[in-house]
Amino acid sequence: MDTLKFIAKRLVYMIIMLLGVATLVFFLTKALPGDGTTANLSQRALSDPEIVAAYRAKHGLDKPVIVQYFIYMKNLLQLDLGTSIRTNKDVLGELMRCFPATIELALFAIVIAAVFGILFGVISAIKRNSIIDQIVRAISVTGVSIPSFWFALLVLFLLYYKLQLFPGPGRLSTGFAAPQTVTGLYVIDSLLEGNIPKAMDALSHLILPGLVLASFTMGLITRTTRSNVLDVMSTDYIRTARAKGLSQTKLILKHALGNALIPVLTVIGLGLGNLLGGMVLVETIFNWPGVGQFAYESVLAADFPSIIGVSLLVALNYMVINTIIDILYGIIDPRVRCN
Amino acid sequence: MKKRLMALAMAAMMALGCAACGGGADTASDAEAGNTVVVAIGGGFATLDPGYVYEKYPTLALNACYETLFKFFENDGAPEPLLVDTYEFSEDAKTLTLTLKDGIVFASGNPMTSADVAFSINRVKNLQSNPAFLADTIASIDTPDEKTVVLNLTQPDSAITAKLCYPSFAILDSEVVKENGGTDAEDAATTDTAQAYLDTASAGSGMYILTSYTPDAEFVLEKNPNYWGESTNVDKYIVQIQPDANTQMMTLASGDLDVAMNMTDDTMAEIEGTEGIAMINGATNTVGFIMMNMDETYGGPVSNPLVQQAIRKAVDYAGVKDLVGEGTATPYSIIQTTFMGNKGERAADYTNIEEAKALLAQAGYADGFTVDMTVSDLDMEGILLTDLAQKVADDLAQIGITVNIVTQAWGGGYGDAYRDGTLGFTVMYWGTDYNDPNVQLEFLPGAIVGLRAGWTADMDPELAAMYTAAMEETDVDARAAILGQIQDATYENGPFIMIAQAPAHIGYNTRLEGVDISDPYTLDVTKINIVG
Repeated sequence: MDTLKFIAKRLVYMIIMLLGVATLVFFLTKALPGDGTTANLSQRALSDPEIVAAYRAKHGLDKPVIVQYFIYMKNLLQLDLGTSIRTNKDVLGELMRCFPATIELALFAIVIAAVFGILFGVISAIKRNSIIDQIVRAISVTGVSIPSFWFALLVLFLLYYKLQLFPGPGRLSTGFAAPQTVTGLYVIDSLLEGNIPKAMDALSHLILPGLVLASFTMGLITRTTRSNVLDVMSTDYIRTARAKGLSQTKLILKHALGNALIPVLTVIGLGLGNLLGGMVLVETIFNWPGVGQFAYESVLAADFPSIIGVSLLVALNYMVINTIIDILYGIIDPRVRCN
Repeated sequence: MKKRLMALAMAAMMALGCAACGGGADTASDAEAGNTVVVAIGGGFATLDPGYVYEKYPTLALNACYETLFKFFENDGAPEPLLVDTYEFSEDAKTLTLTLKDGIVFASGNPMTSADVAFSINRVKNLQSNPAFLADTIASIDTPDEKTVVLNLTQPDSAITAKLCYPSFAILDSEVVKENGGTDAEDAATTDTAQAYLDTASAGSGMYILTSYTPDAEFVLEKNPNYWGESTNVDKYIVQIQPDANTQMMTLASGDLDVAMNMTDDTMAEIEGTEGIAMINGATNTVGFIMMNMDETYGGPVSNPLVQQAIRKAVDYAGVKDLVGEGTATPYSIIQTTFMGNKGERAADYTNIEEAKALLAQAGYADGFTVDMTVSDLDMEGILLTDLAQKVADDLAQIGITVNIVTQAWGGGYGDAYRDGTLGFTVMYWGTDYNDPNVQLEFLPGAIVGLRAGWTADMDPELAAMYTAAMEETDVDARAAILGQIQDATYENGPFIMIAQAPAHIGYNTRLEGVDISDPYTLDVTKINIVG
């Protein structure tokens, strides 16, 4: 019952926060010079007042900003995010079209980041100050500090172009047609089609962009895991366990890791939220039609309904992930549950 | 426990390894082997509906799936009949009567009639979107019988056949489009709902049909089984959107791509000499220019005609060519080297610093001056306008003019100021709206771009009058003569200096024949055959 109450409370907060984000982004975008007409009409069309007037009327840009705001909010409450100025399509539909590509890549990247980040963090803690620890720390610092666009070009150049170990850009090789959309995640949809080679192909196309996107979060997770494991290792209950004669590995895995993972969960959650917002440069280099590319094209076209839509999606991601993390805290740590 | 951890790590690595192998070239695919060609283009676009299209890349798809009354079969700016059998201008050149060829059918199997032509042109006009201006001179359309179309013009329009080549004037299967919400009525701007359909399917008579389109990712074209003309041997095109030039280079060199549309000097150098890959470099119609406002309020010293001449003499055109890359051209004056009636390139020895200094002194600026140059964040076919502006600034420093470059976003005020004619001094580019020298007449006094530079018709009435003369002259030779006079008049005078016609660099697999630069259609896929 308490959990339900907690979730209901979070849902109300989420709705209020989303309306706040929508209001903020709406007025911020309106405060910018230009209204999308200049960015979307050709130079010749802009010289024709009739075309400009028809365009502005069609997209409601001819109304006062405050009127536009109330119309937008009224539509938003009915889950209508408006029509994209650039593509002339429903923004919600556009987001639903490109979000699965981003989800698939983000989930793949976060799994890599979490698995290897925790693994490296634990190894690093166990082998504290050894050469392995130094190497792991160097890798994590590199992962955090390396610019993603540069790393993307590097892995594409080396692992695809020069060594030909992995497939190139895109979600599928050219021999495959996109699977029938069920979830929008190509690996799963291909499996649902019963097409194993296509699923493997889709999975293989996730590796290089996934590796690039995972590098930053993996670095953070490694560092957080290492430092938390070491912190927990210096607590009294671990000292007691050690006094009982438990081995270092057993101490870490059985007694220390559970507690050390709580802050790591936050890092994983924030990392996933960050990835779900779409990574513009990586998606561009890997020809990945996700939210990042959509946001990029929308900004170029001053497509305000789409920009607000992407902002709401990003905000929603963080809110949902934070709620899930709060619930997971309770599962991992009974003290949180009691509180 | 140690072993379990190791096993977990190994399993994860193996899963990735297996997937990587799965992505190899030998993997069984669900596509027919066939003659498939993969093309990469440099950016996404808003729509594939001909009634709205004005961007560059959709023209590739429209040219493949639709046909127009006239077409540029070569990249020479000369329109030739495609769907039209015969055509004739009236004596006053205000009526164009066209007869359609026999036996033309749409992909649906419907025969093409004059009603389809009228519907298509009226729809473009009444949608009131980007390409609507192309129909400005078309007052009405008559269809006396199924094969005859009569275009009643508001005035003689020497560019009308060139305009009819533009993919927005693709002839649509009106029956199919109407079934999917299309209309050519006067209120089409608010009542037509066919765009959603035309973004996912085509309704034309072209060699190919659009079978899928994933925005910002790719579109697929497959052979039209009902094509009325002679087809090439390419069964299918997969056109991928790859904005990054390095990615295009790597996928081309790896054999995953057949045509890379957006190569650069750097990426061409990287794969130069690679077996089985060839390159094409050539000038496009897109032209970069310096604009100096004639209104002293905005232009300050650069509004002085003598200063304008000095700047024209000081620009290092050869250096600009080096900067922009292989294939760049420097137009003689306001008409590009790719248009009919052009006078070629500006003289190679035109730059003369001493003469420039003398002109500056004559204008009363012997010691030079300092001026702001406002430049947008746009790029011209991959060349940043700020880079071009910096080159101009460096050149002008040699004659004592200090240029302060002020950057401003196109959507953040630059576009409005440019359109309103309040920019004093800038470097900008002009992408042509249709493939005809008449588009360049807008650079004349009193015309659209001329006014953006404060160049009103009363400042040069004789030159301004040539606008109408060139627009209305339908005789090719007489028209070329007028265009020649216009180019001579703007060679040394006026507020515009055309500094570079942007090049296109295409890399392609030599198993293809017929790959070429096509300004109106990006890449004319209807001319490409597989030979290897």
